[in-house]
This record gives sequence, C-alpha cells and structure tokens, in this order.
Amino acid sequence: MKFELTLALADRPGQLLKALEPIAKNGGNIISIFHERERPTEGYVPVSLVVDFPSRQNLRKTLDDLKGLGITIIKSEEVIETQRLTVILIGKIDLKTLIETKMENARVTGFEVSAPTSHESSVKIELEVPTGLVNKVMDDLKALSREENAVLISSI
Amino acid sequence: MKVIIIGFGFIGRELIRTLNEKMEVLKSVDRNFKVIGVSTSKGYVYDKNGLDLERLSRLREISREYEGFKAGGSTLELIEESGADLMVEATPTNIKDGEPGLTFIKYALEKGIHVVTPNKGPLVVAFKELKQLAEKNSCIFLYEATVAGAVPVFSLVRDCLRGDKVVRISGILNGTTNYILSRMYFEETSFEIALKEAQERGITERDPSYDVDGIDAACKIVILANAIMRRDVMLKDVKITGIRRVTQEAVALAKKSDFAIKLVGTVDRNLEVAPKLVPINHPLCVHGTLNAVHLETDLAKEITLIGYGAGKETVSAILNDMLTVLKRRAKKKKGP
Repeated sequence: MKFELTLALADRPGQLLKALEPIAKNGGNIISIFHERERPTEGYVPVSLVVDFPSRQNLRKTLDDLKGLGITIIKSEEVIETQRLTVILIGKIDLKTLIETKMENARVTGFEVSAPTSHESSVKIELEVPTGLVNKVMDDLKALSREENAVLISSI
Repeated sequence: MKVIIIGFGFIGRELIRTLNEKMEVLKSVDRNFKVIGVSTSKGYVYDKNGLDLERLSRLREISREYEGFKAGGSTLELIEESGADLMVEATPTNIKDGEPGLTFIKYALEKGIHVVTPNKGPLVVAFKELKQLAEKNSCIFLYEATVAGAVPVFSLVRDCLRGDKVVRISGILNGTTNYILSRMYFEETSFEIALKEAQERGITERDPSYDVDGIDAACKIVILANAIMRRDVMLKDVKITGIRRVTQEAVALAKKSDFAIKLVGTVDRNLEVAPKLVPINHPLCVHGTLNAVHLETDLAKEITLIGYGAGKETVSAILNDMLTVLKRRAKKKKGP
C-alpha cells in the first residue's frame, strides 16, 4: 500500500536521516522523496515522501515513532492508483441514473453524447477508476446496460 | 498418397485448381501423390490412377461434365471403396448439427483415413469427439482453414509455441463485419448503408445474420478455445453481441478518442464475441476484410497474426495441412 507523507523537519543537519529511520524500521520502501531544502518556513523544511508499506499498521507504527521523535506530520494519505477507462453505450439511456447511481466508484472525466441521427443515442464516457475497482465498475456498467437494454462497448 | 475431396463448391474447386498448380511441391514430398476421387451431393468421380486435375479445375460442376461420373453414388461409398489415405472435407458449413460433414469425417476417421477440413460445422458441434476419434485411430486431423482462413494460427501454436501456455486469445475473426465497421469508420456511413455495400460486393450472404449477429465469429471462438486452450465448450457457452446496433455516431465518438469499434472474439475466463473499442495503434486494429488473431502466452507474451479470413486465400491453409499430413507420413515411413 502506497502512502504520501509530508513531514515538517527542523532546519538542522541530520534531521532527514532521523526521519527516515522509523520508516525503514517499520518495513517502508521509499518510492520517492522531495526535500524542499531551499524553502524553509519558520525554521522547518517540508519533506514529501511516497512510501510503500506492507500494511496500514506499519504506517501507523511509523507515524507514532515519528511523533515520538518530535517530528510534525503535515499529511499522511493513501495513494490510490487509478486507471482510465473509456466506454460507449448505445440505447435509450437514462443519463441521470447513469451518473447518479452507477458511477459511485469512479470519477467521470469526460462525457459526450452524440447528436441522435439514429433512433438510439450513443454516449461516450471517460472514467478514472481506482485500479482495484475496475472490475466492479465494469460489472456495474454491464448491469446498467442490461437494465437499460443498451449495448456496452468497452475497451479490449 | 491417395486423396479424396468431398465437396465441389467454391473451396473444393479452388483447391483442385491449386493442387494442379502446386503438383510439383506435392510430388516433391510424396511422388505418389494423387487425387483419386471427388464427390458432391449428386454423386462422385473416381479413378484409382488419379483424376485429371487440369480438366476438373476448368469445370463448374462435375455431375454431367466429367466422364465416369457415378450419378447417385454416395460420399460414404467413395470413402469406403476408394482406399484413400487422406480426405479433404469441404462441404457447406452447418453449425446446427455439423452435417453432412460430421458424418463424413467420423466415417473417414473410423476407417483410419487422415482428415483435413476447412468446415467449421463439425468442429463446432463435436470437436472433442472428433479429436478423440482421430487419436484412437492414429489419424492426423487438421483444420487450419476453419478459423481466420489463411492465417496459420493452429500451425503456429502447434509447431512454434510448443512450450508456451496460451492464456488468452482475442481476434477479429469475421471479415464481413470488419468490412462493415471499417466503412463506418472511414466513410462515416451508417450500418445499413455499409451492410448494403457489403452485400452488393458479394462479401456477405443475402441473409447476413450469420455474420452481423456474431455467430460466425462465435463458432471460431469455440474452435480456438477447444483446440488451443483445451477447453470443452460449445456455441451456447459464448456470450454473443453482434454489430446491428452499432451506430454511426458511436463509431465517430470512438474515433475522436483514437479507438475503432471492432467485433472482437475473446477466449479467457469467459468466451465472448462483442463490439469493442480497439486502440488505433493496437495490432488487432486491422481494417477491410482482414482478420487478426492476438495470442497472449506465458513465455512469448504477445503475438499477433494478420491475414485474409475467407475466399480463395483459405486454400493456402488447406494445402499446408495436406502437406503436413504428407510430410508426417513420409517421416513415419522412413523411420526415426
């Protein structure tokens, strides 16, 4: 599980090394580190890290240890990896239902409805979906296309 | 090797013309190669010394135009009495019960005759049974032309991917629907107009449902699943959505996002034939009447084959299957 951490380190030598120790000790694998050395604020330097921990518990232990060392934690958030999906639906689609109820696990990033020269309308939806929920979102779309008697065209 | 050909339709006639043209290649593998019988639903011609392929290839019908024609003679009689070593079964496809090809193939295999066929019908309804029958009778049973015509997918897996495990197959397996969708993509026409054009050009039958409703592609998915991925599936196991409801606007919306809509057949956990969005830079994104088969394997990862899936190009696959039988037999005779 990947987490983004932002720590406020005192602007003194050796502080970064001190902060990294609990991360390593608790099984964290540092993926990236951004040390804004030239922008200290009130004697503190912000450091942003992306760390892969085996579990949430390892993160919690790390945060406790960091606090114990007197390090301020500005931000600690899980990094959710997302995937972009494009689908087309053809039919007499209830767009309101589509957006309100079926897309709860995804963020709609693009939406285009064609001028209906055919007797059925065609809708293109672009979605950003957490990687772990892609199958769930696809299942929701399949269920929706069945309910609405629409044709679902998904990407290969 | 003595060969009989069942069926004198488009493929049967093209095959005879090609065998005549390629006789040198065939004789270089087996100097005794000859075609001794050809049968149709009306009767058959038979000559134990070999038929005149040059003459046969100029005929449209053999019933009255070839002397020695045995009117009313049955195909089973020809299989029984000809003493053939190899039968090419090329009767029309029937996916409901596989007949009459299924009976002919079973009869030949039971007699220990090797079989090559471009006929999907018997394989769709009885793949496992035919495969087991061939093994039981030590017969070679090859069917390269049944899926994607001239594209050598079974030969490739059999001879070049012996150690690979094929984990997924996807493909554009029907030339007619690919032609229609390509016209909709490039000319921005409606499905109805593109279909009419395909009918006028003779690319599809008067009743196009077999193609546009995805049934033909689904038959090929069944054969691929059974033959390459060792499943035991039937046509009813394939979830099929055809292309009738694909609108001109849907094709245009896809195109704006760099996709083409294609009728794609897939074999993985499930079997499916459905219109799909194919990225325009993906190797499966072929146009016109072309077919494409995309294999995903554990070692080679991804391999795509592209070629013509119907028409006289199909004869290439039948000829290669025949040469495979000839070569294996020649090797067996020679010993290790």
